[in-house]
Amino acid sequence: MEAHSRPTARTGAGQRRISGTRRALLLGGAALAGNAALAGRLWQLQVVESDTYREQAAHNRARTRPIQPLRGLIYDRNREPLVANAPVFSVWLAPADLPPEREGPAMANLAVLTGERLEDLRFKLSQARLDPDTPARLARAVPRESALTIEERRQDLPGISVRTSTRREYAHGDVLGHILGFTGPIPAEEVEAYRQQGVRFDEDIGLAGIERSLQTRLRGRDGEQRLETDAFGRALHELSFTPPQVGQHAVLTIAVNEQQAIREILARHLALRERGAGAVVVLRPDSGDIVAMVSLPDYDSNIFTRGASSESFALLVSDPRRPLINHAISGLYPPGSTYKVIAASGALEAGVVLPQSKIHCDGRLILPSGWAFDDWLPQGHGFVDLQRAIAESCNIYFYNVSGGNPYTQLQGLGNRRLAEFERSFGFGERTGIDLPGEASGLVPTSEWKNRNLQQPWVTGDTYHAAIGQGLVQVTPLQIASMYAAIGNGGRVMRPRLVDRLLDQHGKVAERIPPRVRSILPVSDANLRLLQAGLYRAVNEPQGTGPRARSSHTVVAGKTGTAEYSGARDAEGRLPSHAWFAGYAPAEQPEYGFAVLVRDGGEGSFAAAPIARDIVDYLMTGDMPPLPQERPDFISPDHRL
Amino acid sequence: MLVRLARIEWATIISTIALVAFGVLMLSTTAEPDSTGLENQAVQKAVLGAVGLAFAFAMAQVDYRVLHGLAGPVFLLGVLALILVLLVGDFDLGARRWFELGPIVIQPSEFMKLAAIVAFAKYLSDRSDSTRSLRTVMVGLGLMLIPASLVFLQPDLGTALIFSAIWMAMVFVAGARWWHLLTPIVIALAAFPFAWFFAQDYMRQRFVTFLDPGSDPLGAGYNVLQARISIGSGGWFGHGLGQGSQSQLEFLRVRDTDFIFAMLGEQLGLAGTMGLLAFFTLLIVQALVIGLRARDMFGRLLAIGIAAMLFSQSFVNIGMNVGLMPVTGITLPLVSLGKNSLLVTLLSVGILLSIHSHRGAAPFRQQSMHVVRGSLPVAGSRGGLGR
Repeated sequence: MEAHSRPTARTGAGQRRISGTRRALLLGGAALAGNAALAGRLWQLQVVESDTYREQAAHNRARTRPIQPLRGLIYDRNREPLVANAPVFSVWLAPADLPPEREGPAMANLAVLTGERLEDLRFKLSQARLDPDTPARLARAVPRESALTIEERRQDLPGISVRTSTRREYAHGDVLGHILGFTGPIPAEEVEAYRQQGVRFDEDIGLAGIERSLQTRLRGRDGEQRLETDAFGRALHELSFTPPQVGQHAVLTIAVNEQQAIREILARHLALRERGAGAVVVLRPDSGDIVAMVSLPDYDSNIFTRGASSESFALLVSDPRRPLINHAISGLYPPGSTYKVIAASGALEAGVVLPQSKIHCDGRLILPSGWAFDDWLPQGHGFVDLQRAIAESCNIYFYNVSGGNPYTQLQGLGNRRLAEFERSFGFGERTGIDLPGEASGLVPTSEWKNRNLQQPWVTGDTYHAAIGQGLVQVTPLQIASMYAAIGNGGRVMRPRLVDRLLDQHGKVAERIPPRVRSILPVSDANLRLLQAGLYRAVNEPQGTGPRARSSHTVVAGKTGTAEYSGARDAEGRLPSHAWFAGYAPAEQPEYGFAVLVRDGGEGSFAAAPIARDIVDYLMTGDMPPLPQERPDFISPDHRL
Repeated sequence: MLVRLARIEWATIISTIALVAFGVLMLSTTAEPDSTGLENQAVQKAVLGAVGLAFAFAMAQVDYRVLHGLAGPVFLLGVLALILVLLVGDFDLGARRWFELGPIVIQPSEFMKLAAIVAFAKYLSDRSDSTRSLRTVMVGLGLMLIPASLVFLQPDLGTALIFSAIWMAMVFVAGARWWHLLTPIVIALAAFPFAWFFAQDYMRQRFVTFLDPGSDPLGAGYNVLQARISIGSGGWFGHGLGQGSQSQLEFLRVRDTDFIFAMLGEQLGLAGTMGLLAFFTLLIVQALVIGLRARDMFGRLLAIGIAAMLFSQSFVNIGMNVGLMPVTGITLPLVSLGKNSLLVTLLSVGILLSIHSHRGAAPFRQQSMHVVRGSLPVAGSRGGLGR
């Protein structure tokens, strides 16, 4: 305090001393210290941390925009395109240009103009905000008038614009619905999972069929545009451009005309019955190539991408026949007598019976426990050997060889060995076809029954398993695959729907070769016995499948009438699914097939004629006459 | 001795010219490419700088002590202008700070800074015998609060704070008691929570942003963050004149005024920022040295006030650019675009030159009053250094 009052400074003129020198020096020191602090900070920013800021500056200036590739196409075997990318108007949002305070009215307007649900738009907006620099699609395929209105009302809809994008249009969506499937917006709960794979929330993805199973192949790879932008997000020029990689194209094993005709054949037969439903699988025995796959009723792929009316959606969803499900691969049914070939081959291979061994069938087998097991023919088939048992579908024979006979001391195959054979024919697991949603079915065992039903396995369960009843569950595809294997000499092929993938120039990018799933554990001699039985089932007077007989080739096959628990008919019988499965020509099979008519009654009446029509068509290329016009036509109301 | 003194004067002039040149250089890189001649901001600044500097040279020939007589009227005129600008000024950028007279824009608060310095210097030097009294300090505080609060109402918190910084420095050097000075500071700190409660939103926001610029990178913290990125990315020698994505692509906003330093940092790097800082330091030290060598208390306080103005503004502005100070909208004297600020700063330099050149002049007429009124013993001549 002394300092300031003591005159210390000498003025230039030296007339007198004035105060405050020491304090002025103090201020000078403070100023120097302050500027030294600034210098230190500058050293820190420009030397020590410079690299970090340089990176941030680079990040500031460059914006990366993903460029979505065009989705790959799907062709049939003859390179006929089954789908096209059709241009449509879509509504896009540049998130940074929509001020948050204007979101509410803009989304409400857009909901009215596009018909999208407001909560969907809000969800998309929230997703778009995560990456404010990349335009996001809010609605696709808006009608032309809406597109024009949106453009006119741009001042009410900041950041929103109409641009063209593409929509999948299926050339034969009405007959290929279950095979091609469809694309659509990612379900909200899967958005995150797709994001991790680099798929943006506003993309359409395959939701069913080939579109779904080949999603990653068809989608292609994003391109990238790096833009130099100023602080206001205006793009100044392009820094780099990586073109997107167009998705691969898929060539299927089916031919659209065959699929169309076979669907039509099934549809004609089903049309005879009320609420008819059924499935057909036709494949090539040598390669496993799918020739046709039909599940009726079905849907048109286009209604999902065009935006169907809510009524047609409601119809599809409420129909108890579940038309949205491909029953050829996802439907589970008891196989009925088509399954008997498994017990037959097992019994032969295990030496339970000799080919010529005869078993007496008197129409019923009553176990000591008191349970009775009937044949379908009340009076019985008499003494039958293996071939006749197959041809005439004698239940009693297969009861004996599978579960044994306590009266004749015949040791049956037993549950365990029967189950092994079932699995070796490809049951109880997926075939591996290139379609989503395939069911694996069920090969019942004592362990399974104990675990799931808490009941012990009894001989009757083995009997039922042998004739494809009870707990057994299969898909039509599995049955078709089994008969193709019997026809081709014992190779169980993986069913193949995609033959090859093409790159954007049409060159083959990848071939998907036929693959053998397993070899039947059946000797050639025994296999020939089975084949002979199947031949006789169709071609001999006593056989169960004469209605499958074709006038153009020789068919071998097996009927099935698979009862299932439901309301009994007037005579107290359970309802049943009708099956026919086999292959043709019998000598050198070109086609293996399975036909299922749900709730169709007798396989020999309901399913066998369908198989015949299909074989006729495949052999000649001509549509067969209507079922009603056939001389052997039997009304579906007929009950044996 | 002559050489040494001449060096002081030339150092002042050179650092002034250098700082103006930095500003011209920076503005030339952001000017509209097709603007020519006087439309070009850089050319405007160079011309105004040259005119202002010539005026400063002319001022050096006039005895600064004429200001002693003008202090009162000038101060009153400034206060009137501040009141007028609040009533009829042009509203721009959320504040009422300017008069627009055709192409000329006048910002009274800039001129008021200099008027206040002159007025404080007169007030304090006239009372150099009673600066230790609380009364003198309190009346002086009131004198300062008049323009400060008028500027605060515009609203312009930054400039209001500059007024108080100038006042504090001058009262300190004039000899006020420590506790007279510290008490208001303590009170101000204690009042902070209440001030926070009554503060305008933009002030709170700026304070929050200062504490954490990353809290809202696209909002309030944007400028601070971008300034830091600009400066940091400049490295040792910068991207070169007219280069640098931050300023050229306008990520750096208000780059001509508040954040011109950041632009300099990006384009010229550490070399440029250190150079600029060195010239500022030199100028401020010159002002202090001129003050120390002034022939009377009035001159000394004038120089101290000008030094305080230069330092507080440059420190707050650069501090804001590098993230050491909150955003206050204080421009960088001599360098930023503002013409009012440039003119006032050059006038201040003119006053400094006048103080320097008249350090040995004969006593001014009014000066005798000081001597009579003052209680200081008149020192004997100890080897005059007259020219």
